[in-house]
Amino acid sequence: MTTLYLAVCIAELAISAVLLVRVALGPSVSDRIVALNAMSTQATIAVLFFAAWGDRTVYLDVGLWLSSFSYLGALVWARYLERGLL
Amino acid sequence: MKETAVIVLVAIGLFFALTAAVGMIRMPDVYTRIQCASKAVTLGAVPLLIALTIAQGPVTAYGGRSLLIAILLLVANPMASHALARAAYKTGVPMWRGAVADEPAERYAAEQRAAEQDEHRDAE
Repeated sequence: MTTLYLAVCIAELAISAVLLVRVALGPSVSDRIVALNAMSTQATIAVLFFAAWGDRTVYLDVGLWLSSFSYLGALVWARYLERGLL
Repeated sequence: MKETAVIVLVAIGLFFALTAAVGMIRMPDVYTRIQCASKAVTLGAVPLLIALTIAQGPVTAYGGRSLLIAILLLVANPMASHALARAAYKTGVPMWRGAVADEPAERYAAEQRAAEQDEHRDAE
């Protein structure tokens, strides 16, 4: 079972590497933000499975932080794109 | 039994995450990419988190935390996708040239006309 955890962690990292291509290419800012948002979700999963693999509960809080702050970051970016700095 | 369920859920999750990555590269414009990414989070991340919950048991630290994150993602991700799509539309990111419908165009034009009329009235 622990090997499965490590495999999922590495697979998620590989998938975020593919998403990084879109962050680099993306013709508009929105493309980059969408790809970054998807990447941070994959990173959350990777961190959680890494925590389960290495049996370190500290990383669980990192995962929670990543998921909630990627959501907040997406909202702030959307607001910034719509009406600029307020 | 438990291990079979975990492996099936992990397979589903990784398949959809991979589909999302391919879609993010292959899709033609930002709106289709947003659709692709948000489906991937719902169908790709949530099964993986449920798999972790099943494998570790729901009342352990890992299971409870991953269930919490799954609920958070289910609530927050559609909202973030919606906000990003609206921001992209309002900043004028072009649609794919093969797109056949642009329904918000009329409404935003009407809103803009109303705002301009308000400004005009204020000026008078």
